[in-house]
Amino acid sequence: MKLRLSTGPHLVNRESTQTLMLDVLIALVPTTAAGIYLFGTKAAWVLAVAVISAVVCEYLFQKLARRPVRVMDLSAVVTGLILGLNLPAEAPLWLPAIGSAIAIILVKELFGGIGHNFMNPALLARGILLASWPARMSVYHLPARVLGVTEVVPAGADVISAATPLIRPGGYQMYDLLMGNIPGTIGEVCKIAILIGFLYMLFVGTIRWHIPVIFVGTVALMTWVMGGDPLRSVLSGGLLFGAVFMATDYVTNPMLKVGQVIFAIGCGVLVSVIRMTKAFPEGVTYAILLMNILTPLIDRWTSRRVYGMVKKHA
Amino acid sequence: MKLSFKGGIHPLKELHEGKGKTSALPIKDLVPERVCIPVDMHIGAPSEPCVKKGDQVKLGQVIATPVGGFGIPVHASVSGEVTAVVTRQMLGKKPSTCIEIASDGQDEWVALGPLGDVEKAPADKIVQQVKDAGICGLGGACFPAHIKLMIPEGKSVDTVILNGAECETFLTADHRLMLEEPQRILKGLRAIMRAMQVAAGVVAIEDNKPDAIKAMKEAAQGMEGVRVAILKTKYPQGGEKQLIDAVTKRQVPSGGLPIDAHVVVFNVGTAAAIADAVTEGKPLISRITTVTGAVNSPSNLRIRVGTSFQDAIDAAGGFSEEPGKIFAGGSMTGLAIPNTAISLTKANNGVVVLNQKEAVKKEPSPCIRCGRCVEACPSLLNPQYLNVLNDRADLAGMKKHNVMDCTVCGSCSYVCPAKIELCANFKEAKEKITARRV
Repeated sequence: MKLRLSTGPHLVNRESTQTLMLDVLIALVPTTAAGIYLFGTKAAWVLAVAVISAVVCEYLFQKLARRPVRVMDLSAVVTGLILGLNLPAEAPLWLPAIGSAIAIILVKELFGGIGHNFMNPALLARGILLASWPARMSVYHLPARVLGVTEVVPAGADVISAATPLIRPGGYQMYDLLMGNIPGTIGEVCKIAILIGFLYMLFVGTIRWHIPVIFVGTVALMTWVMGGDPLRSVLSGGLLFGAVFMATDYVTNPMLKVGQVIFAIGCGVLVSVIRMTKAFPEGVTYAILLMNILTPLIDRWTSRRVYGMVKKHA
Repeated sequence: MKLSFKGGIHPLKELHEGKGKTSALPIKDLVPERVCIPVDMHIGAPSEPCVKKGDQVKLGQVIATPVGGFGIPVHASVSGEVTAVVTRQMLGKKPSTCIEIASDGQDEWVALGPLGDVEKAPADKIVQQVKDAGICGLGGACFPAHIKLMIPEGKSVDTVILNGAECETFLTADHRLMLEEPQRILKGLRAIMRAMQVAAGVVAIEDNKPDAIKAMKEAAQGMEGVRVAILKTKYPQGGEKQLIDAVTKRQVPSGGLPIDAHVVVFNVGTAAAIADAVTEGKPLISRITTVTGAVNSPSNLRIRVGTSFQDAIDAAGGFSEEPGKIFAGGSMTGLAIPNTAISLTKANNGVVVLNQKEAVKKEPSPCIRCGRCVEACPSLLNPQYLNVLNDRADLAGMKKHNVMDCTVCGSCSYVCPAKIELCANFKEAKEKITARRV
C-alpha cells in the first residue's frame, strides 16, 4: 500500500482555469450566434480565423520557446474569439489573423504567458489594429439581417455603409439598439445577447457584478449629468461588450474589491470623457487599456484590514 | 439569525460536505485487542512513562506522568498487559515514546475519584480534576484543557464558547455527540463556567446540523447562563478566530489569544470529557472518530486512545477500494499518514480514506489573478500577493504582509483554479520565518 503524503487541503474545487475559460466561452455563445445571424457567414469567417490564429500562435510560440504548451486551458480560444467579436464583419481575413498573433505573441506570451500580461491581449490587439488600419477597422455596415420585428427594416441592405450610432445618436430606435439591428462590430451590437452572457457568468460565478455594473453605471451617470440620454449611451457602441467581457478579465483588473470599484469607476469616467470630447468615436477600448495599466498601482495603493488588526478590547 | 464571518468557502457543497455517509449513523464502540499510546499527545513536554513491559494495568490507570507546566498524564485505554514501551513514528514530526498494551477484554476500571454533580462540585477542585484526567483539546489542537481553565493575571473572560461547528469536511463525530449525548456536553460546559466563574456559556453549531441544534436547545432549557448559537454553514466557521468573531463580534488581536478577546473556546468533545472527569472521575481514554471515504461501512466510532488506523478502518468494514491517501481529520486540514500502523490519539476526530484517483496530485498552472483566494481568505489576507512574494523567496515581505496571521485553513488552495498549493506554501514560509526569526 503506497499512500501519498501532502499538506491539506486534500480535495479541491473542481473549477480550473480550463472550466473558467469554458464558462466564458459558453457566455459568449449568444453574442457569437447573434453576430453570425446578423452579419452572415462573413462574420463566421472572421471569428474562425481569429480563434484559429490565436490557438496556432500560442501553440507554435510555446513549442519554439520550449514552454509548457497550455493551449488546452482554452484561454487562447477566449482571446481569439473576443478579438474577432471586436472586429467589423467586413474586415479582410488577414486582419483577425494578424490581430490574434499580436494579442497572443506580443501581449501575452512575450510578457510571460497566461497571468502575466499587463493589458488585455484582445483589447490591445484591437487598439493596435485600430491605429494601424483605421479605415478598415472603422467601416461598419448595417447587419444583413434583423433580429425580431423592427420598423426600420433596411430591406436587402447588406452592404450599406452607415455611421455608427455613436456618431449619430438618436438615429436608431431603442428596440434596434437592444437587438443589434445597428452597425457595429460583430460582438458589440446585440445587447440582449451580451446581457444573457453576463447573467450566465454571474449565475455560475465566473465573475462578480461589481466591475460591469459600476463601469456601465458610471457612464450612465456621467452622461445624465452632462445632459445626454443615459440609456442610449449605455446601449451604444462597445460599452456593454467591453464592460462584461473585457474589463472583467481577471489578469488585468485589481485583486481587491475596493480596487475593482476604483478600476470600474475609472473606466466609466474615461469612456465618458473620450466620448464627450469626441476624440474617437469609440472610447471603451482605450479606457479599459488605460485602467489595465493603472491596475498594478491600484493594487499597490489598496489594502484591507487583516483579521486581528484591532485595538485591545477593553 | 445565523452568525458568520468575512471570507470563507463552502467545500464539497455538492457532496453535503462529505458528511452524508455518516451523519445519520449512531456511535459504535470499538475496543481493539491492542493499543499503542504515544505519551506526547498534547502540546507541551511529553509525559514520562511509569509502567514497564510485563506490568498489568487497569482501565484508566496512569501509565505516564506529566512533565512541566503544560504536562498532563496519560492513562491506559484498555485493561491488560503492557507489552512494550518503545519509540515509534506517529503523527508528530519526530518519533514518539509509546506504551503498547494488550487488552485482556475485561475493561476493569481503576478506582475513580469523582467530584460529583457539576453544580455542587467545589469550583477550585475542577481544574486539578481536569488535569488529572489527562484532558487536552479534542478539536485537534490538543492544548491542555486545565491551562485554559486558569485565567492568567490581568486577563478576564466573560464568555465560554463550546465549538460544535464541525465545519471540516467528512467529520460527523461532534454532530453525533451533540445529538446523542447533549447532557454530557452541557454538564461539561457548566463545570467549565463554574471553574472559571464565567456567567455566559454558548454552544455554537452550524445550521447544517438542525437535529443537533434541536437536541442541544432542548437539553439546555432552564440551564443557567447557557444558550445555543446557530452559525451559517461555512468553512472555517469552527476555526477559533472565526468562531469568536461570529459569536461575539470581537476579533482576537493579531498575535494574541482568544482570552485577549475575553473568550475561551472548547470543543464539545472536550466539554463531554470534562463532564466525565468531574461527575465520574473518569480520565480521557476514548473519543469519537468518524471513519469514512473509501471504506465499506463508514462509521462514527468511539475509539480507545491508541487504537491503530488499521483497526479503525477494519471496524468500518475495511477498504472498499485501493487506498491512495489516508488522512487524520477532514479533507481541508487533515494530516496525511504514511501507513496504517500509526495510532489514533486524543486529537483525531476523523479518518478519511481517498481512493487512488482522488489522491492524484493536481498539477499547478500559472496564477490567473482571478481573486478567488482573496475572497476566500478568512484572515482577510491577500494570498495571491503572498504567493508572488513566496515565489521570490521573500520571507520578510511575506511577514510584512501578515503571513503570520494565516491560520493554514486551506481555503485559498481549495478555491484556486490554477491548483496552486498556496496554503502549503504559506505553512512552510511560516515555519521558516519562526525558525530563522525573520
